[in-house]
Amino acid sequence: MTNRKKVSALLLCGALSAGLLAGCGSKNDSSNESADGGQVTLRMIESLTSPKRTTLIQASIDKFEAANPDIKVELISPPFDQADNKIRTMLGAKEDIDVLEVRDLTVSEFVNNGFIEPLNEYADKWSDYSTVSAISKSLGSVGDKLYFVPNGLYERQLFYRADWFKEQNLTPPKTWDELFETAKKLTDPSKNRYGFSFRGGAGANGTTDAMVLAFNGDNVNLEDSMFTKDGKTVFSTPEAKAAIELYQKLYKEASPPDSVNWGFQEQVQAFTSGVTGMLLQDPDVIQSLQEKMAEGTWATAPLQAGPTGKALLAAGGAGWGIAAESKHKEAAWKLISFLSSPAENTEFSKAYGLIPIHTSASEDEFFKTGPYKTLLDMTNAPDTFLNFKPPFEYPGTGQWGQVEMESGQALLLGQASLDDTLKKWDSYWADQKANLKK
Amino acid sequence: MKNQKIFILSGLLPALLLVLAFTYYPFLKGIIMAFQDYKLFDLRHIRFVGFDNFKDAFHDPKFFTALKNSGYWVFFSLIFQFLFGLALALLLKKPFRGRGIFQGFAFYSWALSGFLIGMIWKWMFNSQIGVINDLLLRIGIIHERIGFLSNPKWAMTSVIIANVWYGIAFFAIMLLAALQSVPSELYEAADMDGATGVRKLWNVTLPYILPTIIATTLLRAIWIFNDPTIIYGLTNGGPAGSTHILSSLMLDKIIYAGDYGAASAIGVIMIVLLLLYTIFFLTVTKAEKVGDF
Repeated sequence: MTNRKKVSALLLCGALSAGLLAGCGSKNDSSNESADGGQVTLRMIESLTSPKRTTLIQASIDKFEAANPDIKVELISPPFDQADNKIRTMLGAKEDIDVLEVRDLTVSEFVNNGFIEPLNEYADKWSDYSTVSAISKSLGSVGDKLYFVPNGLYERQLFYRADWFKEQNLTPPKTWDELFETAKKLTDPSKNRYGFSFRGGAGANGTTDAMVLAFNGDNVNLEDSMFTKDGKTVFSTPEAKAAIELYQKLYKEASPPDSVNWGFQEQVQAFTSGVTGMLLQDPDVIQSLQEKMAEGTWATAPLQAGPTGKALLAAGGAGWGIAAESKHKEAAWKLISFLSSPAENTEFSKAYGLIPIHTSASEDEFFKTGPYKTLLDMTNAPDTFLNFKPPFEYPGTGQWGQVEMESGQALLLGQASLDDTLKKWDSYWADQKANLKK
Repeated sequence: MKNQKIFILSGLLPALLLVLAFTYYPFLKGIIMAFQDYKLFDLRHIRFVGFDNFKDAFHDPKFFTALKNSGYWVFFSLIFQFLFGLALALLLKKPFRGRGIFQGFAFYSWALSGFLIGMIWKWMFNSQIGVINDLLLRIGIIHERIGFLSNPKWAMTSVIIANVWYGIAFFAIMLLAALQSVPSELYEAADMDGATGVRKLWNVTLPYILPTIIATTLLRAIWIFNDPTIIYGLTNGGPAGSTHILSSLMLDKIIYAGDYGAASAIGVIMIVLLLLYTIFFLTVTKAEKVGDF
C-alpha cells in the first residue's frame, strides 16, 4: 500500500468515526437551524395518540405553519401505550422537545422533575385566556401555576343499548345498584349477551374509583378526592367495601368473563358489536359509536350515583405544555395559543368528541344536543353530580392504574380477599400522602 | 510494521466505537442501575441502594410466577416450534405444484412484529367476539365459551400457542436450508439398504442436520426467553400477572412503574440464567461431539 493510499484510508476512517459520533448526539440540531435564516423548528410530541387524532392535530399544525412561515413543526406521535414513557425518557435525557402533551396523570410528576415550564406569564398576555373554563384552568395547574393548556375535556357518562332497554321495558339506571340490577336483566350468556361492558384490564381503576367515590358520597374531600373529610383514605370506609362487593357482583353476574382482562378497545368493541348493553366511557367514543351502530340503537345517560344519591364527577384531560429545556419558548407558546384558540379547539373537540375548553364554545348547538347533552345536564345539576379534584398532585397517581388493575384482577379471580385488596389500596394512598408531606 | 498495526487498529476503530457505545455501555449502565434507586418519575433522588432491588425481586411473588412461566414458555414454545417447523420443512422440501406460493405463506408470520402478533391473537382469543371460540363452538368441540386470556389456567397456554405459531417459520426456514444440503447419495444408499421413510429420517436426515438443529435451538431458546413482545401485545402479563415471564415483567417495571432499578435487577438475573443455560447446553453438546462451537 502506498503512503498516499494509507493516508486517505486513515482520513476516511477518521471521517467515518467522527460522523458516527456526530450522529449519536443530535442535541443541538434545532438550535443551529434557528441561527440560519431565522427559521425555527419546533419539536412537538403527543401522548394520547391515535391515528385519527394525529391526523387532526397535523391538520391544525399545517394551518399554523401556513400562517407562520418562519416556524416549522415536527410532530412526534409514539404509540399510545409507550407515549408517556417516551416523553419521560426524552425529557430526562434533555433531548430537544419544545411542545409536549402533558396529561392530568403526569403533570405533577413532570413538575416535580423540573421538566416543564410554568405558562402563567404567557397566558396572562393571551387574549383568548379569559374564555378558558375554570375547570380547564384547574386541570392544567399544579398549585397556582398553569403548566398546560388542555386540548379538550373528558367526562364519563353511561352509553346504553336503547333498543335492548325498550325490549325489556327498562329505564337507564340512576344508581350503581340499579346499574347492577339492570345489567343482570340484560345478561343472557346463552345468547352471548351481557349487561355491562366491564373493564378489568388497563384503566380498570376508572370503574372502581368511580364506585368507591360514589358510595362515600358527601363524605369525600372534594379537593383531595382519595381521602374522606376526616383524612382517611376513601378505601378504608365500610362504604368502600360495599362498593367493591357490588363491583365483584357486577363482574361475576353481569359481565363477560373475559372482560377481567379488557382495556379500552375491547370494552368499546364489545358494546358496538352487540355483546354488552351498557358502557361507561368518555365522549371520545361517540364518534366510533356513531360510525359502527345504527341510529336509535344507543343513547346516553348520566353517571350513576351511590346509595346517598350523589355521583362524583371529574373532568380529565391532556394538553399542551412547554419543556423547561426548550430553546424556542416564544415560538412554542405561539403554537400552543394557536392550537388552543376557540376556533381550533372547538373544531378539534367536535371532530374528536371532546368537551371544548372555552366556555363560549359550549354554547354551540352541537354540544347542546344528542350524546353530548347528558354531559351538560350533569354540569347543570351540581347537587347530585359533585365535582371533585382528582389526586393529580400526588406523583404516584400515574402508577395507581397499574396497582389497582393487578390487585383488582387478583380479587376478581379469587386470588385475593376483599379485605386484603382494600387494605392494599388504602395503604397505597396513605403512603402517597405521607410521602408528599416529607 | 508499526504503521501497519496503526492502520489495522484505526480500521477497527469505528466498529469498536459502535460496539462500545451500543453494547458495552448499555450493558454496564444496566448493571450499575440494578444497584440504584432509579425511578423515571423521581430522577432527582437517584442513589445507590446495594442489593435492595434484588431483595425486592426475590420477595415479590410475581417474580417467582414469572420465573416459573419463563421455564414453561421457553420449554413448550421451543419443542412445538421445532416439531412443527421440522414437519413443515420436510413438507416444503418435496417439490409440488405451487410450492413457492405455499412457502411464502408459511413464512409470513416471521415477517410480523411480535407485538402485532400479540394484538392479532388477542382478538382471536377473545371469548365473546373472538374467532377461535366461535369456530370451536360451531364445530361442536366446546359448548361454552372459553376465556382463553381471562382464565389464569388457560392464559399461559394461550400465549404459548401464539408464540408457537410465530416461531414455526423460523425453524422451517433454517431446517429447510439444512435439509436441502443433505447429499442425495446418502438417500440412494439408504434406499439400497431397503430403509423406509421413517428410518431414513431417523438415520440419515436427522444426524446430518443435527448441527443446524443444535445451533438453532440454542439461539431460539435465548430469543424466546428474551422476547416479551407477544406476551405484551396479548395479555400485558395479565390477568393478575399470571402470564408474565421475566422479560415482560422487566418491561412492566419500566413501562408502568418507571422503575429502571428494579427492571435492571431482573435483567441481571436474566443474564445469569442465560449464561448458566448456555454453559449447560454447550457442555452437553460437546459431550455428544456434535456441536460445532
